[in-house]
Amino acid sequence: MKISIFSAWCAISLIFIMPDQVGAKKIPLLENAEVCMGCHSSKEADKVFKNKDRISVFVSENDFKNTVHGSLNCNDCHPTVSPETHPGRAFDSKRAFLKDASGVCRNCHTDSQLRAKPNHAYLAEKDAPLCIDCHGAHNVRKVSEWKFSLKGNQYCLTCHRQNISKTLGAGEKLSLHVDPAYLASSVHNKHACNDCHTEFTRESHPIKIFPTRREHSISLSDACRRCHADKYTLSKGSTHYNISFHVGDALISKGNPKAPVCTDCHGFHTVSPKTVFEILSGVPCRKCHEDIFKIYAKSVHGTARAKGVHQAPLCSSCHFVHEINFTAMTDRIRSACLGCHKGVENLHSKWLPNAELHMSVVSCAACHVPASEKGIFLQLVDQKTGEPFTQEQVMQLLGTSYEELSERLNAHGQGIDSYELSYIVKQLNKRGAGANVTYLGKMDVNRYSDAHQLSIKKNAVKECESCHKSDSKFFKRVTLAIIKGDGGMSRYSAKPDVLRSVVSALSSRQFYVLGGTRLTIVDWAGILIVCCGLLIPVAHITLRVLTAPARKSKKLEELRKGEKR
Amino acid sequence: MKKTYLHPLPVRIWHWVNAFCFIILIITGLQIRYREVLSLTKFKTAVDIHNFFGFLLIADFLLWAAYYVFMGKIKIYIPPLNLKKFFSGCLRQAKYYGYGLLMGENNPHHASSDNKFNPLQQTAYFMIMLVLLPFQLVTGILLWDITTFSDWIRLLGGIKIVDFVHVIIFFFSTAFLFVHVYLTTLGLTPLEHIKAMFTGYEEMEEHGN
Repeated sequence: MKISIFSAWCAISLIFIMPDQVGAKKIPLLENAEVCMGCHSSKEADKVFKNKDRISVFVSENDFKNTVHGSLNCNDCHPTVSPETHPGRAFDSKRAFLKDASGVCRNCHTDSQLRAKPNHAYLAEKDAPLCIDCHGAHNVRKVSEWKFSLKGNQYCLTCHRQNISKTLGAGEKLSLHVDPAYLASSVHNKHACNDCHTEFTRESHPIKIFPTRREHSISLSDACRRCHADKYTLSKGSTHYNISFHVGDALISKGNPKAPVCTDCHGFHTVSPKTVFEILSGVPCRKCHEDIFKIYAKSVHGTARAKGVHQAPLCSSCHFVHEINFTAMTDRIRSACLGCHKGVENLHSKWLPNAELHMSVVSCAACHVPASEKGIFLQLVDQKTGEPFTQEQVMQLLGTSYEELSERLNAHGQGIDSYELSYIVKQLNKRGAGANVTYLGKMDVNRYSDAHQLSIKKNAVKECESCHKSDSKFFKRVTLAIIKGDGGMSRYSAKPDVLRSVVSALSSRQFYVLGGTRLTIVDWAGILIVCCGLLIPVAHITLRVLTAPARKSKKLEELRKGEKR
Repeated sequence: MKKTYLHPLPVRIWHWVNAFCFIILIITGLQIRYREVLSLTKFKTAVDIHNFFGFLLIADFLLWAAYYVFMGKIKIYIPPLNLKKFFSGCLRQAKYYGYGLLMGENNPHHASSDNKFNPLQQTAYFMIMLVLLPFQLVTGILLWDITTFSDWIRLLGGIKIVDFVHVIIFFFSTAFLFVHVYLTTLGLTPLEHIKAMFTGYEEMEEHGN
């Protein structure tokens, strides 16, 4: 291949380094082949381009004669070149020169002829490989004549190192280019191409048709699981898997097209070592979650990581690597925090009453992201097991579909009221044949992004009054959070008064926050009872004042009676 | 007039400690529950004070119970089994408070160390000392550490129920305090009952048999 290109450059360059003979009569090159070769047989001469690229002008006459073009004359391919004007044209770069030179081939080999062969289908594309990239220049050969002599991956790279692509069913373009340099630096550089692309051999190159690049990615990710079955198993439990594959492989088409598969994070041929993902610039999550990554980068963890603190967490520290999942409303995030921050329970218990309880119902982010919007998340919990009651269980027991449940809980966008909240628990406990559910409340940040904005310790919320008062803004935002079987969460807005309503009190009998979830009716009962306590003395004193004359006259009468005796 | 020894020293100590605890617990309880209305100290300070005086009240209650049980005087809190006699006594006493006292009649109940309370007082203190206060103390302990006592709380129906009971008794205790203080002024002189709770002796009219 190199020889072919080299020869082509030499032949064409010869034309441009010929002495300038402006105004001389044009002479057919055949008749003057010796004139051409006078310069182009030299291995010493180079042509220099504007960008300082260089190319040898050498043409091997013997090699040329043995090619399929051996009977052609120089000016059959270089008709515009004449000894009088050669070399007359200047090019910006070697590539520009080669592109121009390759255009000559099309004088004989028309597009329709070329496209009749599948491998040439993309020749009309912009940035398609040049003829001489595969066939050489003066020692032009069929690719099949020489590529079988290549060993290992070089055989495949013959074509795939070129800038080739194909158009998929849906019209998307799929690049088939493999950069040999990237491949060499990948952790898979010892693998043969068909370790992954098992259907392909030297003898067989099946034509695979994918409707979209997404389908292609999903299909190729199957190759990963052959060696990385453990990671694949972990990923099956992840949010990414469940969003992308929904429930099982059969429903891939229902998946979220943006959800990542192996290649989305690891790339195709550029699979990097683990260390690459452990630096901020190498975190693959940011490809899709750039907005959250920017927030994280400004957090106490992100800034520490940027300063080289290796212990500072990255995305995977809390969300894990392949078993990536939601952390909101789960023990996963708490475990992740406490995994690094050893002994914080004891530290909290030095100043925080009921520290263990606080740390189990208030997320770390709720206090350690002081500027975050917080709210109460009511969660259906099985009282027997203490585990969240999942959306699937709710649907099963209520005998309803997801759409019906969502419509009901969305409450026409008004927020669920206390009657509905109470009704759900009553129905579940009634129909549940053993189900015993209740609402438990937790405090967390309202926006997922806020959870990534952790601040330094001294900024953390420490004032009890922030939460323990009825007019705390944190109790104004109430959300019904129903955990899904796949670890996700459905969130439905609830009216703030559900926390203070006697109607829903029994359905959330295990959730109470001092000052924050007071029942309004109990407050009124309290006012009434205390007023009665005050009214009794006041009324009695009033009666005593009013009846004082009667007592006085009775006393006087008794005195008079006493005197008479 | 005669002076009767009504309140032995342990009872007087218990009473005033009890009274002081009640007042502090009511004030701090108000602040804990109605932070936006009453904010004398920081929330945490109010909780700490409430907890301290709560345990002091428990200790004081145990002192009271031990004294009355071991001295065999607990019966003064227990209404008689003869309900007819008891209800007629209640009616007579209610009539006195509602009419006789206003008309200058004498109190039909004559207190002694063995029979300190009139039937209405007996009912009220029976409910307070043997029903409401124990409930209040138990719910207070449960709310003090809801993690440790989570099983007990669940058994009683949930934290919201436990809190409801604690708060309702708190309201009744507050109301009781107003009535109680007022009733202490209905002795021979407005301060006679109060003085007796300091000295142990109460001056009262002599009544013939």
